[in-house]
Amino acid sequence: MATDSATPTESEDATAFGTVSRTRGTIFEYLSLSASVAGLVALGVLLVYVAIDAFDLANASPEWLLTYFVTLVLPFLAFCLYSAGDPAVTRRVLGVLGGGLVAVAVGFTAIEAFVVEIPRLSWQLTYLFVVVGPAAAYLAYVGSKGRVGAVGFGLLGRLIGGVAVGLAVGTLFLVFDELVWFLAYTLGVLPAAGLYAYGRLRDADRAVTAAVPVGLVGTVVAAVLREVVATYPSDTVIYLWTIAVPLAVVGALLVGARGSRTAAVAAGGVPLALATAGGFFGGSVGLPGPTTLIVIALTGVPTTVYVHRVVADREGTIGLGLPFLLGVGVIAGALLVEAWGVPAPDPWLDPNYVTEAPSRTPEEAGLYPAIVGSVIIIALVAVLSFVLGVGTSVFLEEYTSETGVVGKLTRLLQINIANLAAIPSVVYGLLGLGLFANLLGLGFGTAVTAALTLSLLILPITIISAQEAIRSVPDDLRRGSDAMGATRWQTTKNVVLPEAFPGILTGTILALGRAIGETAPLIMIGAATTVFSAPSSLFSRLSAMPMQIYAWSNFPQADFRYGVVAAGVITLLIVLIGMNGTAILLRNRAEGGT
Amino acid sequence: MTDSTESPDLTRQGGLTRLKEGTYGGLFAACAAVTLLTTVAIFVTLLSDAVVFFQEIAVTEFLTGTNWSPNPAGGGQAFGIIPLLIGTVVVTVTAAFVALPTGTLTAIYLSEYASPNARSILKPLLEILAGIPTVVYGYFALVYVTPVLEATLLPGISTFNALSASIMVGIMTIPMVSSISEDAMSAVPDELRQAGYGLGATKFEVSTGIVVPASISGIASSYILAVSRAIGETMIVVVAMGAQARMPTVKEAAFGVPYINPADVLLDSGMTITVAMVQIAGGDLTGGTVPYDAMFALGLALFVVTLVMNVLSDFIAERYREEY
Repeated sequence: MATDSATPTESEDATAFGTVSRTRGTIFEYLSLSASVAGLVALGVLLVYVAIDAFDLANASPEWLLTYFVTLVLPFLAFCLYSAGDPAVTRRVLGVLGGGLVAVAVGFTAIEAFVVEIPRLSWQLTYLFVVVGPAAAYLAYVGSKGRVGAVGFGLLGRLIGGVAVGLAVGTLFLVFDELVWFLAYTLGVLPAAGLYAYGRLRDADRAVTAAVPVGLVGTVVAAVLREVVATYPSDTVIYLWTIAVPLAVVGALLVGARGSRTAAVAAGGVPLALATAGGFFGGSVGLPGPTTLIVIALTGVPTTVYVHRVVADREGTIGLGLPFLLGVGVIAGALLVEAWGVPAPDPWLDPNYVTEAPSRTPEEAGLYPAIVGSVIIIALVAVLSFVLGVGTSVFLEEYTSETGVVGKLTRLLQINIANLAAIPSVVYGLLGLGLFANLLGLGFGTAVTAALTLSLLILPITIISAQEAIRSVPDDLRRGSDAMGATRWQTTKNVVLPEAFPGILTGTILALGRAIGETAPLIMIGAATTVFSAPSSLFSRLSAMPMQIYAWSNFPQADFRYGVVAAGVITLLIVLIGMNGTAILLRNRAEGGT
Repeated sequence: MTDSTESPDLTRQGGLTRLKEGTYGGLFAACAAVTLLTTVAIFVTLLSDAVVFFQEIAVTEFLTGTNWSPNPAGGGQAFGIIPLLIGTVVVTVTAAFVALPTGTLTAIYLSEYASPNARSILKPLLEILAGIPTVVYGYFALVYVTPVLEATLLPGISTFNALSASIMVGIMTIPMVSSISEDAMSAVPDELRQAGYGLGATKFEVSTGIVVPASISGIASSYILAVSRAIGETMIVVVAMGAQARMPTVKEAAFGVPYINPADVLLDSGMTITVAMVQIAGGDLTGGTVPYDAMFALGLALFVVTLVMNVLSDFIAERYREEY
């Protein structure tokens, strides 16, 4: 009896013990998971709508989407699949694309029919953004791991990167006086570089040491001679001499180092000839000739060197076809759409948008002056914050001691930097207004004022990331260098900085991304929200991309609010993503290298 | 790093080398001095113009006035910071309601539940949230979020309103909360978790009962930093919240108890300290006028508030950190 009554109790206990309620834990896990992705999903949805507005995809007909899907997206996916060469990946991708097609169509129709109408989206667009986009990104990632894909994306990256850098450099020369640059290059940079190279080759320390003073003297002389010399070569010749020729020489040397003399001549000569021709041709058809020249030179030389290397290695040569694949896809899509008379959407973000000045009418509005303004600001900020940031972090990590009075001062500096990082950006704007614009008289809303203000704003972030990079250099390396009898500066220069360089660069680029997007400080220093022509000197008033976006978003017309601003947002985000992507690539390469 | 303070001079370097060494050291020190100078310059710039402002307008009037209209329109100028403070507090509190729970849960997920693979994808993605320019967030709030709120939940919402701006400020600050909190949670030693599992605790109990309490100082300091960021946030509110310095209407409930309907404040436009500054700066800037100086007084107030928050956050992280 007693045992009878005891047994059920025991077994009850046992079952109770065996089935500890896990519901709460499971709910919590999924709650926290959904919290992690909530912000990302919200941002993703908003970005989808911005993209739809910027490219006018709401008006894209299914036929138009299908045409480009067949001519552009499918070949790209096939290329990545070929490069990955993995049947499992192929199966998965086909499953996702096919299953996603059905699921999106059914789900979308169900929601529209029973719940609520989803504004400005069709199921085809949803499929594009929810399934095709992520699948293509995933495949691009997997495909780039394969040899063929790596070659293809490498070539594509050099082409796009070369064009972007070329355009940015060309933009910079809208502002900087090219005559001063010409003299400074000829009298300062060239002799200094020559001395340095000579010293390195012949082991002549004196020549290396003399390089910096010679360069400085040459630059100063150039500044003086600017007013004295009366005749100058034309702009195209200046750019050819100062940018295209050295680039071609470097390219030829790089290729020549691997043996083939003919290839070296090709690597240097062909882009140089193309750049020369492009410069004169561009000038005659109305394109800015010097800019065309710079773009061709900066794109051609790296591409030629890369192609030569790939061909010499005989591995993944097929990958070189990727740019052609994409180009042919775009052209074929355009031809088919034209031939069948499929109504094509009229994107706000088109070539006109990035080459025209702002306008009262939405169709004609462009972002050009603001883009130029942003490029100038970023170039100045990059130089200033890199020099100051690296200098400060080297001082904090390598030169001060952590004990005694100096240690306390260092700690104070460290706290101060952390605090500076947390000060709101409007306050930096006030600093720029009070100090640079008013007290030093650099002018309201000029490029110099803006650049100085933003440099101080991102300086703490640069310092903190550079410090981390320097700190992660192993101490053994320093001790080894010390043991060889190197001085502190030699250790820093030859051992620490080269090791830490990728980390420092990554941090700086990320900080620059922050500076591109800042608006409040620019408003505070009185930068113009809209300027109608590109700035013509460092002391002219300028606008920047976020400023223009801010100005336009106040316009009440729907075309401005939804179309023009969306295009501006996409432009800004493309620049930002490009920079962050570069930073991540640098970091990965550095981590992979060591 | 720099423990080799006094290395013996083995090489007897010549004067030129020593001079070179000294020059480089001096150059780096000069770079470091720029950061100190920046702090001093901020302080002096803010203070010098703020002092001029307070000679015109009494400090008490500035701190207790309930009317903000820097541009003389009919009735004349008024510089009371109270409506701006109310706007700032409303935005900050609402943003905190979005960012703090989401950020904390994200941190718990990243540090306790996520596989290394998931973490390596989620963390950089979350950093993107902080990297989007704030003017873009403001545009999102104005052009997409407000119409959606109006069409679905809140038909009475006005074009410029505090709610959608605050939601965006909240989303922007999520990564700040999650990354600092996650650092604190990851620093909790594994022995504590194992001890919890040894006592039969579930993963949920370990997460909420052991890891979160053990890292509470880090979480608290991340909260304060996020709130400080929300206070100083400018472009989102400038674009999406409008610029009307309003005092909320105080209603009377039963028995004459005064109350403020939060919906009135959230669904309508308002003005924060930062918006007021941008509004003055966007007008015609001329030094020496009272509104110009008022901008610096507001900046000083903002600077002091955020500085106090940062110091507080640092203090909490240092003082209440559990040492294991």
